[in-house]
Amino acid sequence: MSITRRTALALALATATTLAGAPARAADDIVIAGSMPLTGVFAFAGIGVHAGIQDYVKIVNDAGGIAGRKVVYVAEDTAYKVDQSVAVFNKLTSQNKVNLYYGDSTGFAKTINPELNRLGTMMMAGASFATELNDPKAYPLQFMAGPDYTEMVGILLQYIAKTKPGAKIAFVHSDTEFGRDPIGPSEAHAKKLGLDVVVKIVTPPTAVDVSTEILKLRRADPDFTIFHGYVLAPLPEFMNQAKQLGLKTKFMGTFWSMDNSLWGKVGEAADGFMGVMPYRYYYDAEGKSPMLEKIRAMRPEYQSTPYLQGFLTTMLYLESAKRVLEGGKELNGPNLKAALNSIKDFDTGGIIGTPITITGNSIPVGRVYRYDAVKKAMLPNSDWIQLGK
Amino acid sequence: MIDFDWLFFLEVSLAGLGSGALLALTGLSFVLIYKATRAVNLAIGEMLMIGAYAFFSFSAGLGLPWWAAVPAALACGGLLGAVIERAVIRPMLGESAISVLMVTIGLGSVLIGAVELLWGADPAQLPDFMGTSPVFLGPAYVSRKIVIGFAVAATVITLFILAFRFWRGGVALRATATDQGAAYSCGIDVPVVFSMAWVFAGVAAAGAGILVGAVGGISPAMGIFGLSALVVVIVGGLDSVVGALIGGVLVGLIEAWTGTYLGGEFKTLITFGLLIAVLMVRPYGLFGTVEIERL
Amino acid sequence: MRIATAKESYAADEALFDTPTQRVWLALFVAVCALFPFTANEYWLYMACLVAIHVISVTGLNIVTGFTGLVSLGQAAFMGVGAYTVAVAETRFGTPVLLNLIAAGAITAAVGAVVGIPSLRVKGLYLAIATIASSFILHFVFANWNSVTHGVSGISLPPASILGVEFGRPFALYFLIVPIAFLAVFSASNLFRTRIGRAFIAIRDRDISAEVLGIPLLRYKLMSFALSSFYAGVAGGLWAYFFRVVTPESFPFVYSIFFLAAVIVGGMGSILGSILGAVFMTMVPEVLKLGVGVMSPFLSDAVALLSPVRTIVFGGLIIGFLIFEPHGLAEIWRRIRRFFHLWPFKT
Repeated sequence: MSITRRTALALALATATTLAGAPARAADDIVIAGSMPLTGVFAFAGIGVHAGIQDYVKIVNDAGGIAGRKVVYVAEDTAYKVDQSVAVFNKLTSQNKVNLYYGDSTGFAKTINPELNRLGTMMMAGASFATELNDPKAYPLQFMAGPDYTEMVGILLQYIAKTKPGAKIAFVHSDTEFGRDPIGPSEAHAKKLGLDVVVKIVTPPTAVDVSTEILKLRRADPDFTIFHGYVLAPLPEFMNQAKQLGLKTKFMGTFWSMDNSLWGKVGEAADGFMGVMPYRYYYDAEGKSPMLEKIRAMRPEYQSTPYLQGFLTTMLYLESAKRVLEGGKELNGPNLKAALNSIKDFDTGGIIGTPITITGNSIPVGRVYRYDAVKKAMLPNSDWIQLGK
Repeated sequence: MIDFDWLFFLEVSLAGLGSGALLALTGLSFVLIYKATRAVNLAIGEMLMIGAYAFFSFSAGLGLPWWAAVPAALACGGLLGAVIERAVIRPMLGESAISVLMVTIGLGSVLIGAVELLWGADPAQLPDFMGTSPVFLGPAYVSRKIVIGFAVAATVITLFILAFRFWRGGVALRATATDQGAAYSCGIDVPVVFSMAWVFAGVAAAGAGILVGAVGGISPAMGIFGLSALVVVIVGGLDSVVGALIGGVLVGLIEAWTGTYLGGEFKTLITFGLLIAVLMVRPYGLFGTVEIERL
Repeated sequence: MRIATAKESYAADEALFDTPTQRVWLALFVAVCALFPFTANEYWLYMACLVAIHVISVTGLNIVTGFTGLVSLGQAAFMGVGAYTVAVAETRFGTPVLLNLIAAGAITAAVGAVVGIPSLRVKGLYLAIATIASSFILHFVFANWNSVTHGVSGISLPPASILGVEFGRPFALYFLIVPIAFLAVFSASNLFRTRIGRAFIAIRDRDISAEVLGIPLLRYKLMSFALSSFYAGVAGGLWAYFFRVVTPESFPFVYSIFFLAAVIVGGMGSILGSILGAVFMTMVPEVLKLGVGVMSPFLSDAVALLSPVRTIVFGGLIIGFLIFEPHGLAEIWRRIRRFFHLWPFKT
């Protein structure tokens, strides 16, 4: 075929469209899209989650996709702002036929929910473990790849009740939506378990110095202090000063403050920090964990806890997609969610150390890990705790 | 209250003084810039962050001991101040204060992006260089970092007050602040004074950043601390070094007391309530220069 | 080159749009705005609505900051008051949409007037910080007045509906938001042809002189705050209908900085500047994202690598524009217009 002017034009057009960032996509690709907080206050998590999703998608595609269909992942940065997240949602859903969505915040999950239900074409999960979202009636097309915040604290409380019945507990939380989320119900839960909540300390989001809060804590003298609503700061300073004062309290945290490398940079003061973790750590070698081995083969360096969150979320996305396609049904939101809820005693390849069953919007499973400053690692300190059992 | 715990009150007040000192040091940097160049620098929190990250690189990255890393970080802060002044503020000379304020907001965005690019988004902890043994003043406990922070802030601010009083450069800066035209005609090199003010402010901000980072850890979002310093300088008076000190201590104390006796969620409410009250009584802050308006 | 714009009557001289060219362009613009929703996809409609809401709020802020010279950093909190008013009215009383929006404006205006009280004694930057204080106090109220605002979890509201027509999708909301934005901008332009608007400008230029000229400062400064807050309240009300979830964290302090930035980048004391500023501040981050998208075929995982660069470029653009033109985009616009008016002569 000789190159006529028309074919040349067609060629040029084709290259132009490819360069303009619209790669040709097969119509039956399974599309995962995401509003990712790659900059801003939550960038630490967003970057990890982003990498986790990419890696699992790559593993699946290398193994031939889902029922022969390729998986595509598209994402854009939101700077952790709700209006930008919604903009990204609108952009990605109008450019692609999105089946699965990853949202970056509680605010976004709540804002987009009516739209999600109206479209009915996709299922969504995200970085938020807000208690409010754990309601299949109000949020029928959403889920979270772990326990909600109240359940996380519940797991800690159960652990405490078992190791030290009647213990005195302090809650320290930030004055944000994130921080306040589990406090009310957890107080009631603690009472039910026979634990005594001696003090609740609120820190403003801009707080740097926590000396006065430490003094309060010292007067209350709890056995356990549970932090919620932080990533890292001001936890190390709390622990430092508590150590200086010789407080007997043990410090605990929830998922977003459990990353191993962050605590690794804290050093000596981090020793003894405990917290609830729904997943196992990157380096965890106990038992059989084919998925962790795959991750270690793909990325020789340590991967953060948000990475594992993104990885597992994608695994659940694609397991649901697989079940829908195997059942010969249409790939839409309600079917995906029904498939997700059909997951029973599912083996996550070692990401979670126990088989999981998803009956609602959350996976109320977790394990208490404890940081060992000598080994520089979070080490398991309890068995897998399943709430409601 | 019948049995008021005086020891507790004393400890809380000491803690408040300490965190007030951090605010005062940040406020100082703000005041220096405002006094000399009439620029409101909303990027002060981000300059502080750069100082903290520089220290992090020198100490944790290069493994320098703290006595070498601190001056190096301070030098970086000074350099940053000089670069900002020369590249961004100097071209805005003579423009309205509000345009300059906006430029510093843009600057804040640039600095945050730079930190995310160079150091990544993970929060981190500065290596401990202040020791951990607790300090007791009589029976009252004070955090060691806070004691050191207070001592540093008090020393630095005293030095600046003395410099403004006795050093030629300090006097030149004061002269420029009072009347730029007159300062020019007296042979004061006003642009040099501007640069100098920004360099010193950069150094002060870097110092504050190291202290703040040592207490609260570092992350690309730590610049928000600058906002609390804004309250301090407004309470104290935008162009008063003493005001920064008194304002800082005052805000620190009030925050500590409300945090303890009312709860953390009331901190901002009470602090800003105080701010409005002060402004209604003294519109130029406690120690700010009252501008006499004439037609 | 355009010549002969001689005016024959005062009415012609005072007209809002004084040349035929302007009128033609305006008509074209209105036509484009009216046709836009039928050609654009969901994403562009969403952005258009967001820009329109921001235009209303920025215009309001320009009244108090650009025209009256009172720097306010409380605009986002005022929007919050409007949004909460609408949310409460809609969920508790189910009153009609337009009434809710007016109520949002009115209540926010009242709040704004109260916040404006320090403006009589406190000036310049001190005032700016006093408004920050009010915005934090309002935030505290949003987060803790549980019986009305439902605390940190906020209020979800149903889509707006007027006469049985539901405004849920950006496509429908466009026809609610954009006309209101037009109305808001035109009222603001007209304001500055009246005694009140002129009084605001006089206060900005020299408040003592203005007082000597017989302008009661207290009344006019508070009026300016109230008007500006009215705009913020309406914008906030529309925001509530647009996002349909209102939480205390929806209106953070940085959002106020965003609005002030839009006013300054656009051009203080210029209605056109408000529009340009709102468009610039809302769209530039999106356009930069498009830039990142273009890079992605060449750079693996451009999204993760280039996102911080975007933050830098955004800040750099603000700095660059202000150094290049401290009077904002409106001035650049005027300069371009002048170039065409005077062409082929040198400006």
